[in-house]
Amino acid sequence: MTDVTFIDVLTTRHAYVLFVLLSAIGLYMMIANENLVKKVIGLNMFQTGIFLFFITSAYRVGGSTPIVKSGGGPYVSPLPHVIVLTAIVVGISLTAVGLALTLRLYAEYGTLRASALREVIADE
Amino acid sequence: MSVAATTTTATPAVAGALPLQSVGITPVEASLFAFVLITAVLTALFRDVLASIVIFAAYSLGLAIIYTFYRAPDVGLTEAAIGAGVTTVFLLLTIAKTTRPASDARFESINWPAVGVCGLFVGVVAVTLPAFPAVGDPSSPILTNADVTGYYLSTAYDETGAENAVTAVLAAYRGFDTFGEAIVVFAAGIASLLVLGREVFTA
Repeated sequence: MTDVTFIDVLTTRHAYVLFVLLSAIGLYMMIANENLVKKVIGLNMFQTGIFLFFITSAYRVGGSTPIVKSGGGPYVSPLPHVIVLTAIVVGISLTAVGLALTLRLYAEYGTLRASALREVIADE
Repeated sequence: MSVAATTTTATPAVAGALPLQSVGITPVEASLFAFVLITAVLTALFRDVLASIVIFAAYSLGLAIIYTFYRAPDVGLTEAAIGAGVTTVFLLLTIAKTTRPASDARFESINWPAVGVCGLFVGVVAVTLPAFPAVGDPSSPILTNADVTGYYLSTAYDETGAENAVTAVLAAYRGFDTFGEAIVVFAAGIASLLVLGREVFTA
């Protein structure tokens, strides 16, 4: 593995590279965006990056959807698909609770900006 | 129905010794990746939250198409319905109930310390990328493992009667886990009502 060039990794591990970049953009949104709603969007983006990682790991060139018929195949692996289906549903639950908390914060303090919230809470 | 022969012909492969150039990026993948990456960056940079939400819906749709391209139509449908659909509705409901600050600038200013943190994250994760098998490589460990992937592909229909192996695992082998997932959704609904101080969901 010593003669692996940067371009080789980029063209054959492309989906994993995209996973890293999407997760990083989601992380950036969670850190840098002041608006709480955009932080929640960043959280969702981080999640979808990880889903992409799972789906990619199941993929097989020339493989078909894992609907098993006799004489069919080869198939992609069904197991990562299942865990991602579960994770999407858990993710939407997380988003719903996060947005409910955001609405409650807005009702109490009248702002969605993290810095303003920090000031108001520090003054109390 | 027996498909054991198609999945158990694997040869033991060492992850590090895989041929690196076996599978390359295709034009379809490249264009979808460019679309998703551009929409992701725009979501992060647009100052107006409504614009961010709409672009994020487009991002989810692009990702759903990528999942479908990677032969995961179940996940693609779920992502399109939940990621592009329900998440967008929740986000829009949230900003409909809050004020949107009037902004002169179209884009957020870039927070360079945060870029540094994310660059560090990319650096740490990216050094592990050469150790991954190439995308779609048929000899990658997850596909050649006859005891896990091979087992479910070859016996799922006989044991559960579901032709779709994803359905078989989700509803039969992992039925209790899926039931637990329903409890998670229920708990999230209760938590949302509790936080909002209401007794029923109203728009």
